[in-house]
Amino acid sequence: MPADRMAKQPARQTTLSDGSAHKPPWRHSMGRRNKLAFALPAGVFLLIFSFFPLFQLVRMSLSDVSARTLNLPWEFVGFDNFSESATQGSLIPALGNTVVFVLIVTVIGLIGGLAAAILLSTSTRLSAFVLGIMVFIWALPPVVNGSVWKFLLGDAGLINSVVTTVGLSTDAIPFLYDERFALFSVAIVNSWAVIPFNALVFRAAILGIPGETFEAARIDGANRWQEIWHMIVPAVRPTTLVLTVLTVVYAFRSFDFIFVMTYGGPGVATNTLPFLSYLQAFVRFDFGMGAATAVISVLLVLVLAVIYARSVRSEEARS
Amino acid sequence: MSIVIPTTKSASAGTPSPHPKSKRRAFEPVAGPLRVVLLLIYAVPILFIILTSLKDPADVISSQASVLFTPTLQAYSSVLSNQGLFIAMQQSLVIAAGTTALTLLVAIPAGYGLARVDSRITTAGLGLLIVLQMVPQTANVIPLYQVFGAWGLLNQNLGVIIADTALLIPFATLLLRPFFRGVPEALEEAASIDGAGMMRTFWSIMLPIARNGVATTGTLVFLLSWGEFLYAVNFFQSPENYPLSALLAQQVSAFGIDWPGLMALAVITSIPILILFTFTYRLLREGLTLGAVK
Repeated sequence: MPADRMAKQPARQTTLSDGSAHKPPWRHSMGRRNKLAFALPAGVFLLIFSFFPLFQLVRMSLSDVSARTLNLPWEFVGFDNFSESATQGSLIPALGNTVVFVLIVTVIGLIGGLAAAILLSTSTRLSAFVLGIMVFIWALPPVVNGSVWKFLLGDAGLINSVVTTVGLSTDAIPFLYDERFALFSVAIVNSWAVIPFNALVFRAAILGIPGETFEAARIDGANRWQEIWHMIVPAVRPTTLVLTVLTVVYAFRSFDFIFVMTYGGPGVATNTLPFLSYLQAFVRFDFGMGAATAVISVLLVLVLAVIYARSVRSEEARS
Repeated sequence: MSIVIPTTKSASAGTPSPHPKSKRRAFEPVAGPLRVVLLLIYAVPILFIILTSLKDPADVISSQASVLFTPTLQAYSSVLSNQGLFIAMQQSLVIAAGTTALTLLVAIPAGYGLARVDSRITTAGLGLLIVLQMVPQTANVIPLYQVFGAWGLLNQNLGVIIADTALLIPFATLLLRPFFRGVPEALEEAASIDGAGMMRTFWSIMLPIARNGVATTGTLVFLLSWGEFLYAVNFFQSPENYPLSALLAQQVSAFGIDWPGLMALAVITSIPILILFTFTYRLLREGLTLGAVK
């Protein structure tokens, strides 16, 4: 990965200058240690406003907390919130929805991102324009993008007009109001929203392939399809690995689009784990149960983080 | 959207490799139309936001998909005549600007410190930042609602700014770090030999060199906090204090949506983003793609 090579360069320069600087080495290393103090404000801020709340979340998940008792001493109930949430029958479907949602967004997000990157890695004006529009969409607030897709997917919306005109269906398809379609619809819109970022990163990886590689392939008579399969796909492999984790996390955290487009419905059809915890806490005012569901999602995040760290490390070892 | 961990420069980003034209022939007949399809997939929604905002509510009831209609600015005039809209704009601006300032204030030194020291603490710190960045926002909003209630931070801008900042510090720090790492350490050492202190070196050497990173990060933090609505919806007790994003989120989940009005609101919410985007697109494109993700 070219990024690695570049990242290592400053280190090499240091060793060089270390030799030439007329300074006792211990003084130098003291100075470097001190620089960690620069990270102190961030550390303190996060301790108070991120880690302490997360600690409270865990406490809350083990207590009986309602809107009434939120600011009173909490009654410890052990794992009651977890078991109650499971027996109420909303936790297991939410887990299933989360898995389906993450799978759809990841697969479409990655394949779409790579396809868009290959299409837009030329330097034509059209490519530049399309890329600009896509990045603009990515920069727009999710609530704006979610709103317009709710409109386009409505009974009288553009998508249904096309569907009925083409004759795929005689009646309008209830994309967001039918349990069979709602999760897929929101997941596809979410993929649409993440493709621009993935395309941007893939595109950088493709542009990083040395031009001579393509030239050599051309001399050997490779066509563009062979180029894509034998050169681009292997070259973006490390990028793909990391983007996969990022897209999985993006999909897992997804909240905005669900809130705007379906609000978790119809029924529990688009309740993913994070959304369910929100509903439990802020709609049913059972903060203990909402916290329990949120704790489960945080634990899943920890698993993802470990996978992420391992994949980055193994990729570094390979290259 | 807020999960982004790009790193240092890749040598040839931005300069397209000189692909010979001839070998594109077999590919181009498919690629050309596909590019247009891609354009449609991303441009049509924007087009419909604008078209719908210019429609009369009666037009929307008859057919939402039509493109032929008499444009009217009625939706805009009714949205703009609402006094609450200006408060919402002001709220959006205060929250986004406040979050950007506070996040940069904390994350810039953190990114620098973590870029310059390689120790076990650094590794642990980076790991924690990555984990924090992955935590779903709902796992933050539930305890923060209680904590802020106890600390008297609910129902005021400061609470939302602090919550947004805590949400975005990991992202900003991880994004800034490689920019500082890209600055040769020899430069700093030269400064310290010349007698500059650590703070001085940071201010007058590191910061100017890493300004692209700071600008990229600042822009992204602004964009993200402008669009954030979960904290705003839950921390403000009444919609009167909502920023634009929260207002939009509230209206779109209501029954009997007034689509032209909603789309006019969406356009108004997006205009500042468009302006910012126009000025920073090149920066964003390079900043996010300078190098692979790590």
